Amino acid sequence: MTDTTAPLLVLDDVSIEFETARGSISAVRNFNMTLPVGRKVAIVGESGSGKSTIAAAINGLLADNGVVSSGRILFDGQDVVKLDDKGLRALRGKRVGLVPQDPMTNLNPLQRVGNQIAEAIEVHDKVRASDAFKRAVELLDMVGIPEPDRRARQYPHELSGGMRQRVLIAMGLACRPQLLIADEPTSALDVTVQRVILEELDTLTRQLGTALILITHDLALAAERADDVVVMFRGEAVETGSAAEVMANPRHEYTRRLVAAVPTMQSRPLVPPVPATSRTNDSPRRPLVELVAVRKVYPGRQGFFGKPKDFVAVDNSTFSIQRGQTVAVVGESGSGKSTTAKMLLKIEEPSSGDIVFDGGAITHLHGKDLFSFRRRVQPVFQNPFGSLDGRYTVRQSIEEPLILHGLGNAAERRARVNELLEQVALPPELAERRPAEISGGQSQRVGIARALALKPELVVLDEAVSALDVLVQQQILQLLARLQLELGLSYLFISHNLAVVRMIAHEVHVMRAGQIVESGTPDEIFRRPQHDYTRELIAAIPGRKSVPAATELA
Amino acid sequence: MTDAVSTAPRRQRLRMNLSLIVSLTMLLTVLLLIVVVPLWPGFEPDKQSLFFSLEPAFQNPQYPLGTDALGRDLLSRVSVAARVSVLVALGAVSISAAVGILIGLVAGWLRGPVDSALMAIGNIQLAVPVVLLLIVLVAALGSSPLLLVVLLGLVNWVGYGRVVRAQVVSLREREFITAVTTAGGSGWWIMRKHLLPNVLPAVFVLAAFDVGVIITVESSLSFIGLGIQPPTPSLGLMISEGQRYLQTNIGLTLLPALVIFFLIGGIQFASQTLTKNPRRG
Repeated sequence: MTDTTAPLLVLDDVSIEFETARGSISAVRNFNMTLPVGRKVAIVGESGSGKSTIAAAINGLLADNGVVSSGRILFDGQDVVKLDDKGLRALRGKRVGLVPQDPMTNLNPLQRVGNQIAEAIEVHDKVRASDAFKRAVELLDMVGIPEPDRRARQYPHELSGGMRQRVLIAMGLACRPQLLIADEPTSALDVTVQRVILEELDTLTRQLGTALILITHDLALAAERADDVVVMFRGEAVETGSAAEVMANPRHEYTRRLVAAVPTMQSRPLVPPVPATSRTNDSPRRPLVELVAVRKVYPGRQGFFGKPKDFVAVDNSTFSIQRGQTVAVVGESGSGKSTTAKMLLKIEEPSSGDIVFDGGAITHLHGKDLFSFRRRVQPVFQNPFGSLDGRYTVRQSIEEPLILHGLGNAAERRARVNELLEQVALPPELAERRPAEISGGQSQRVGIARALALKPELVVLDEAVSALDVLVQQQILQLLARLQLELGLSYLFISHNLAVVRMIAHEVHVMRAGQIVESGTPDEIFRRPQHDYTRELIAAIPGRKSVPAATELA
Repeated sequence: MTDAVSTAPRRQRLRMNLSLIVSLTMLLTVLLLIVVVPLWPGFEPDKQSLFFSLEPAFQNPQYPLGTDALGRDLLSRVSVAARVSVLVALGAVSISAAVGILIGLVAGWLRGPVDSALMAIGNIQLAVPVVLLLIVLVAALGSSPLLLVVLLGLVNWVGYGRVVRAQVVSLREREFITAVTTAGGSGWWIMRKHLLPNVLPAVFVLAAFDVGVIITVESSLSFIGLGIQPPTPSLGLMISEGQRYLQTNIGLTLLPALVIFFLIGGIQFASQTLTKNPRRG
C-alpha cells in the first residue's frame, strides 16, 4: 500500500488553460500544493478563481477544451496528467472520491438512491449486485441517514436536500478512496443543515483516514473545517498555510481583505443603532409599513387519495417598518420570508390580514392606485443576472421604470440614469453595456439603480447579497447603508444569513415555517437568543470557533 | 502555440464550416435561378412553341434545359416556379409565426383557463394531418395563390405557439420580469418589450426549418392539382406534368425535383449547422 511518509497528492507548478474561439484563457497558473495522507486542505477563492478547475484536473475531468499546459499532478506518485482513460477510470471513485455541489442535479431522478451508490461499488470492486446494495445500505447508515434500509429503496425526490447531499457523500466514500474532493458540498443547503453535513464529513474522513480537499468560497467555513488553507485569486495561489495562521495573520493583501470582509459574529454593524426613543411604543411617528396578522395560504393539490392539503406559507405575521430603517426577516428556505416580500411588493395577495403602507391599506389595491403605489416600493433580487433582461443595455434597464411612469423627456431621463449610476458608484461608460458584459457585483448595482429610479420609500431586498462573493457582498452592503442615510430609504432585508443581517439591520424577525418565532434588535437576538431555532441559526454561522474572542462588541 | 489538444475542436469547426458551405451553395444556386434567370433575354416562361415541344436539355441554345410538352422553356419555367414556391413558403411561415407568437405569448403569460383553451385548440388541430386538412379546405374554398398562403400559414401555427408558450412560461418566473411588474409594467408592455424579443431567436430557428417543410407541402398540393393552378408554374405542378414523360424525357421531372432538393436540403443543413453553433450564427 501507500507509504505513509510520502505525500498522497502533489501538485507541482500546475498551469491550466482553456482553448476558446478567442484564443486560450489561463485558468490556473503555477499552482503548488502538497497533501499528506489523511490531511484536510481547503481551497478558497471567489467565483472564477480557478478552484474548481483544480479539482477537475486532479480527477482528469477537465472540460474538453481544458488542458494542463505545464506541471505535474502526482497522485500517490503517479502523474494524473499522463494517464489515459483506462487509468483515469481506475482512479476515479476508487481512489479519488468526489462530492459535487448540487444535490439536485447530481443524482439520477429515475434510480433508487441505494442502486446509485451500489453502482459506484460494482464498477470498481467486482462484487455481486446484492452485496453491493447491502454495502450501499451500510454507507447510508454511516453518513447518518435514519432507516437506511427504507431510504435506499427511495428515489431522490423523496429525500430532503440535506439527505441527498449525504447520499452524494456516501457515493464519494463508497470505495473507501484515499482522497475525497468536496466541491462546495454545502453551498446549496440551508445553514443549519450545512453545519450538520460538514460535521458528518469531518467525522467520516477522520474515521476512514481519508484525505480531504474542500473547495469553498467561504473562508470562515474553510478555516473551521480544514487543517490547511490555500487562498486562490485569479488563478494563482496567493497564500498557503495552516488554517489558524491564515485567519489570524493573513500575509497577502487579498487574503487580508477577504478575512476582513467575511461577515462573522465579530463584524461591526454598518448602520448606526436606532436611538432608544424612536423604539418605544409611544413614538409619535407612524411606521411606514405595518403588517397586521398577515396570512398566506396556497391551496394544495388534490392528492391521489384523500383531501387536498393547503400549504400555509405565512401564518399570522405582524411587524412594522419605520422610515429610514432596515427590518430583516431571517429564515431558511420555505420559511415564508420570500412570500412576505412578495406580498409587500404586491405580486402576491395575502389570504387574510392587512398590509398598511403610509397609513393606507394596500391589501386590495387595483388599477391606478396600484400603479402609483408601485413607485413607492421597489425590489432588488438575489440573482444579479436573472434580474436584468439580457437584451437590454444597463441604461435601458434603469430607464424603463421612468418610461413606464412617464417621468421626464428623453434628455431628462438620460440625465437621471447618469445620476443613478453615480449614486450606485458605477462608471458612466457602463451604461451602454449588456448584462453579459458586466460582473455580478456590477449587475447588482444596476439592479439597485433601477430600484431607486422611481425614488421609492421602501426597497425590498430579497437575498440581495447572497449570490455575491464576500468582497463584493461587503461593498454592496456598504452601498446600501450609505444610500439609506442619503435618501432616507427603508429596507425590508430578506436573508438566510444572520451574520450579514447583523451588519445592516435595525430590527430582526426570525421566521420559521411561516411564523415569526423571535423579534428584536440584532444585539438582543445575538446576545440573548430566546428561541431554540434562533440559537441553532447562530450556532451555524461559520467562523465562530475560529476566532476565540467570542465575546463580541466590547 | 496551439498544440495537439486544440485539434479536436478545430476539426469540428471545419466540418461545421463544410456543411455550411455546401448548404449555402445549394441555397445560392436557387437564389441565382430566381434572380438572374429573369434577366436573361431568352426568359419566356409562358411562350409556347409546339415545334420545339419536348426538346431535350443541352441541345438547343435557345432552350438550354429543354422544353415541356407545350414547348415552353424549362429554365424560365423552373425559375418562376422556384420563385412562387419560395414566396408562398415565406408568406405562409410568416403567418404561422405571427399567429403562433401571439397565441403563445398570451397563453404563456396568462396561464390558467385561457392557456388550457388555446393549447387544446392547438392539440385538436394537430390531430388532423396537415395535408388532409388543406385538401379539405382547398376543395371547399377554392384555390388562389393568396388563399393558399393564408391556409398554409393558418394550419401551421401550433408548433410556434407551443415553443413560444414554453419559453414564456419559464421567462415569466424570471426576476427581471417581476422587476418590470413591480415597476408598473402591464402584461401587454411585458409581452411586447421583454417576452417577444426573448422568444424571437427560437422562433427564427423553427421558421428556418419550417420553410423547407412548407415547400414540400405546397409542392405536394400542387402535384395533386390542389395548389398553385396553371398556367402559373409551380415545382409540384411541373413534376406532376413531367411524370407522363418519365420514360422519354426525365429532365422534365428531374429539374424541378432537383430545385426542391436544393431548397429543402440547403435550408435544413444550414439551420442545423447554425442551431448547433448559435453564437456564430
